[in-house]
Formats: sequence, structure tokens, C-alpha cells
Amino acid sequence: MEGKSEIVEVKTFPFPAGFNWAVGPMMERFIRTLAGRKVLGARCPGCGYTYVPPRSRCGQCQAAIAEKDVVELSGKGTLISYTNAHVAPDGNGNLKDLEKPIVVGAVKLEDADSVLFMPVEGVKPQDLKIGLAVKVRWREETKGAVADICCFEPVG
Amino acid sequence: MGYLKDERPTTIGVEGGWNLGAYHYKGSRLLEEYVAGLKHKKLTGSFCPGCARVIVPPRNLCGRCHRKMDGRKTVSDRGTITCFVVSPPIYKGKLKVLGMDPVEIGLVKDGQVVIPVFVKFDGSDSNTDTVLLNADPKDVHIGMRVKVVWAKELQGSLADVEGVEPI
Amino acid sequence: MKRRNVAVIGCGQTKHSSRRRDVNVAEMVSEAVYNALEDAQVSAREVDAFVVGNMPGFGGVAQPEQWIAESLGAAGKPVLRIATGGTTGGSVGQGGYYVVASGLHDMVVAVAWEKHSDSKEAGATTGLLHVGLGNFFHAAGYGLSLKNLVATSVVGAAAGVAVYQAMFYMHRSGCGIEHFDMVAAKARRNAAKNKYAHLQWPGCTAEDIAKTDIVTYPFRYGHICPASDGASAIVVAEESLARKKAKQPAWFKGLASYTDEENQLQSENFGGVGVTDPSEQRGCWLSAVKAYRMAGIVDPKTEIDVAEIYQPFPSQELFFAERLGLFDEGTAWMALETGETEIEGRMPLDPSGGVNATNAIGSSAMQRILECALQIMGKAEEHQVPKKVRNALAHGWGGVTNYSTVTVLGDTPGR
Ligand SMILES: [Zn+2]
Ligand SMILES: [Zn+2]
Repeated sequence: MEGKSEIVEVKTFPFPAGFNWAVGPMMERFIRTLAGRKVLGARCPGCGYTYVPPRSRCGQCQAAIAEKDVVELSGKGTLISYTNAHVAPDGNGNLKDLEKPIVVGAVKLEDADSVLFMPVEGVKPQDLKIGLAVKVRWREETKGAVADICCFEPVG
Repeated sequence: MGYLKDERPTTIGVEGGWNLGAYHYKGSRLLEEYVAGLKHKKLTGSFCPGCARVIVPPRNLCGRCHRKMDGRKTVSDRGTITCFVVSPPIYKGKLKVLGMDPVEIGLVKDGQVVIPVFVKFDGSDSNTDTVLLNADPKDVHIGMRVKVVWAKELQGSLADVEGVEPI
Repeated sequence: MKRRNVAVIGCGQTKHSSRRRDVNVAEMVSEAVYNALEDAQVSAREVDAFVVGNMPGFGGVAQPEQWIAESLGAAGKPVLRIATGGTTGGSVGQGGYYVVASGLHDMVVAVAWEKHSDSKEAGATTGLLHVGLGNFFHAAGYGLSLKNLVATSVVGAAAGVAVYQAMFYMHRSGCGIEHFDMVAAKARRNAAKNKYAHLQWPGCTAEDIAKTDIVTYPFRYGHICPASDGASAIVVAEESLARKKAKQPAWFKGLASYTDEENQLQSENFGGVGVTDPSEQRGCWLSAVKAYRMAGIVDPKTEIDVAEIYQPFPSQELFFAERLGLFDEGTAWMALETGETEIEGRMPLDPSGGVNATNAIGSSAMQRILECALQIMGKAEEHQVPKKVRNALAHGWGGVTNYSTVTVLGDTPGR
């Protein structure tokens, strides 16, 4: 073998490709309604499974779900699983350390069957437990955007 | 009559980015060898021991008989145009290259016509993708004889070949 | 080993258009799937498995099948994703055949799609960058000059190697730019008779196309395919189910997909290219020969009744028709002058308008199979060819411009 490798590392430079994913009518209604601090779901007319955010086809029974099947939820729920994240993607193919870890929780909302994955704040590490009652913490100014839901926090 | 229209409502978009420069690509040293030759006005090709084809710039494997193309051959800097296409006159604001206007940054003159060509250099069996310079678009034809236009200062870089021009 | 007989028993598409922003990708693809299920008169429950695909990178979702599966009725069922570049839809359709012919499944849905409008870049830019960017960075590291990039951009504006292919074909066949006008006009005219197509121009003429500006000679704006959003799906079943469910199933009679040496502007590592004529397309004729043999077709010129050729650019309808054995070498363009390739002609090519009128890339080669099935089933409505269709030929082109899928469908399973 020669000393020099036959393979070279290719130098790259940032080359961002932009996307703008259309969300469709059900998700649009969900996002717009957040402005009024309301969380919408959709109840399948075939099997009753309730999705949050709402969607237009049931994955359980394949029934079509329509605008009339949209229901309003309380915004309260239960933590059914969680994890502590210490790193996050740096947008350049690598991970970066977070200043302080964040809790990401799986929250099952009242009257819903599907699960939302969101940050959980305002809870001491020793108080974190599966079954914790949580509710939506709204951004100070809600404007009909996904970011209107700041995080979940303990009830009371 | 013209095209029929399909009007539809637009729903909200969620934005995101994908940095394609974040991949860790690997390449072979063949191009390093090729540009080292350019510094001495030498076009290097790889030679296939299976089918005797010479490919410029060199490749590792033959695409037809899959033999390792270990042999090297220097080919002539003169050759024949096997194919060409012709741009319309390029005016300011018409074309973007890496997000830049080629007229504004002086790569082409305002209204210039660009003629990308395939050239089969004498002694090679491949097309090399380059551009035809110093020629009237009306005179270009398949079979036209051309030679390399070398950069004034050779640096051992792909830019050493500025293009080809009619002989 | 014995292969089971397999047929298409249902077809479903979405309307194709440049901006399907009224739906998200899951909703768009499910529209095609449920249309196909309705056409076949079967429920999602009866489907054993799904074969799916789109171009990697194009919609900006790395594994779209994972999050759209529920919307397709595929949750909890075997899902096979196939991606082979522009041929993706052709490979997905053939994948549907493989899993049923092998005996693994009895009835599957094969669905393919693209949603270009989810990308902020023009046309297929993002997706194509995924294909070529590594090579570009490599060359840039060795001093590829901006001046040379101008030429690359000029070629890129006219769809890269396709514009060179057109020039090669003109040179060796005697075909002129006016024949490209004729193909493009036919595509837009036929598309106006196909309610799912994108660029629909009723009564479009070659003169209309000739009025459009040159992008890069020999291509005009009027020659270039659109970047479409859309999806297409077929329901594929084994013989006893097919006979029970469909009055006239469209049988898979022969199929093949061959590749060849790279023939783009530069090969891997920015090396030279050994294929000196990118319109040679050896992969296409190898596929055709194999598929015809499997289908028992001896003379495609007389035995093929209609063909759906993958032709984002008009030149491609012509040289691929020759590679597929439908016309003698260098003669396909002459048939335009006599109207032979019109819907009511002797050898109708792309009665649906083809890829030149509708290009949702992942879906495009699937649409060719689907359109052939419609012609055999007699369900092509306004663009149904006015003759008995015994054998229909579906072609796809892609890979890194060197790969073809060829599928022969027929009105009987017999070989
Ligand atoms: Zn349901
Ligand atoms: Zn060889």
C-alpha cells in the first residue's frame, strides 16, 4: 500500500434547499384555531378514534374524516412518557450541546386517542412522572401558528 | 385558446431547510492527477485493459466491461465536436449561476451567446463537456475541429481549460 | 419457477397541477389510492401490501412513506418503498407485479407521487441537487471555474443531458426542431382530453409551440415539461381475484428494467463519460427486447397497439419509440407528418399527453403503466384509442439518465 489514501474528503459549502410544506385543510383549521387558544381534534366517524391534530383519513379503520368530525378539546392531558434531551441538531449535520437539558413529553389529551410530543416545562426533575396531569401553556400573544403552543406544564 | 387553468385554494405552509452542504462526500484522487497534468498542458485519460477505451478525465472503472482502468494515456488537446447546444443571448437578469448574475459579475458580456459542447479529443473515446469560444454560432457544426484554449497562467486547476476554439 | 399471472384491476390518479397546495402530501397520495380502490371495487382492508415510491429528496421528506402510511390504509401492512430516479413509478409498478407474481401477496396497491410545490426552489432543482451536488463540490475543489458553470447553467436550464440528446438525434436522423414542436403540440392537445393531466391546451398546434422562445437551442419553452404535483396508483391482483373483480383486467405480459453505463455530462468523480451519444439508451432496447420475449411479442411494430413513452422532452418520444422497436432507426419523426402517432393513428404515442404534459416525477413512469391499463380496460374516456387494444407498451426513463423500465400489458395473460 502506498502512504497516500486514494480517497479524499470533498470540501463543501452551505447549500440550503428551502421547503414550504402545505399542511392541507384539516391542519390549517387546527393552526388557525390556536389563535383563539383552542385545540382541535377530529373524531373518526367509523371507529371513534380521535386524532389531534385533526386529519382527513383514519389510520385505524380507513374511514374518511370530514370537517364535520372536528371536535374541540380541553387542552388538558396526561404525560404518558418523557425524556431528557441534552443535545439538539445544529443544522449542519451534527449535534450541539444544549445549555440546559429540556424535557420532551408524550402527552395524551383528554378525549383524544393520539399523542402530542411537546416540551414540558415548569416541573422539577424529581416531580416528573408518567401520569402527571398537564395542560397547554400558551404563548403570550397567540396568532394562529404552531408556535402558539409554547409547551405543556403541570396543572395547578 | 391557450392552457386551461386549474385554480385551487392554498393552505398554510410550514417552512424548513435542508442544508445539502452538510453531507460528508468522499471523492477519489483521480481529479488531482488530472489537474496536475493540466498545469503542463497535458490532458490525462484512463485506459481500459479490457476494451482499450480511453476516458478523459480519468475514471476508476470501465462502465462497459467493469475492468479497473489502471492505465494512463495522454491525449491530444485537439479534437472534434460531437455535439453542441446554443444559448439565446444572455442579458443581465436572465440567468443565475450560484445565485449570481453572470453578466453583472463579468463572466459573460451582456447579450453574449454561450455554446456548450461535447468534444472527443484525438486519442480519447469519451465526450468531454466544455464550452466553445471564439466562434460564430452560425459556423458551429458536429464534426468541427477544435483545440483547447489554455488559461494564460496555468495553475493545475480545472479552470486551466477555458474551453475550446475552432482550429 | 412458475410465475403467477398478474393483472391491474383498478386505476386511480389525482388531478395533476403545478400547485396542489390545497392538500398535504399524505392527502394527495391517498386521493390516488382511494380512487384506485374505488375503481377496482375493493376496500383498503382487502389489500395485502403496498408498494410505494417517490424521488428521494424532491419533496423534502426523507421517508415520506413512514408518515403517510396511515393515510393510505397501509398501517400495519407490509410496505415496500422503491426509488430509482425518474423511473421510480415504473419500478413501483413492476414491484407490484413482482410481489404478486411471486406468490407473496394476492392483491397489492402500487402508488407513486411527487409534490414539487413543497420545495421553494424552481422546478425539480432541489431533487436534482441531491443527485449532482456531490460531484459539483468535488469539481469545485479542483478549480471548476464560474465561467464553465455558466455553460453548465445554460445546459441545466434546458434539462441537462436531454438537450444534448435532442441534438444527437437531430444529427443522426434528419429530424428538425419543427418536429419537436409537433410532438409538444400533440402532448398538450392530448392532455386536454385527459382530465388528470397538467398542461392542457385544447387544439394546440405546432405553430403555437413554434412561437415560444428558445431556452437553449434546440429546445423552446414550449418543448419543456412542467413540474407537476400529483399521484397515481394501481391495484394489482393475481389471476383468480383479477377475473372476479374486473370485467377486463390489464394483464402484465412482459417486463424488464436494464441500466447501462452513465451518460450524463460527467460521470462519478467528475470523470469522463464513455457513452458518446446519450440518446443511444442501450438500457432501453435491452429492456424492450427482454420484455417482448417474455410477452411473446415478435414484431412490436404490428403487435403493439398503443405506447405510453416517458418523454419529458419531445425528442425523447422519437428516439425512445425507435429504441422500443416501434419504428425503424431514425424514422419516428416522419410518422408525425402523417399523423400515425395521433390518438386515432396507426401507432398512437402518449394519447394521455405523456410526461411532456404532466411530470410529477415519481409518478410519471407509473402513469405510463396506468394509462396502458386504462387503454386495455377501455376506460381512457376521451383519449381512448379507437381500436381494440390487445397489447400496450409502458416505458419509463431515469436512473442517472441511463435506466429504463419497459412493461407490456395485454388483454389476455397468455404469453
Ligand atoms: Zn376510524
Ligand atoms: Zn472497458
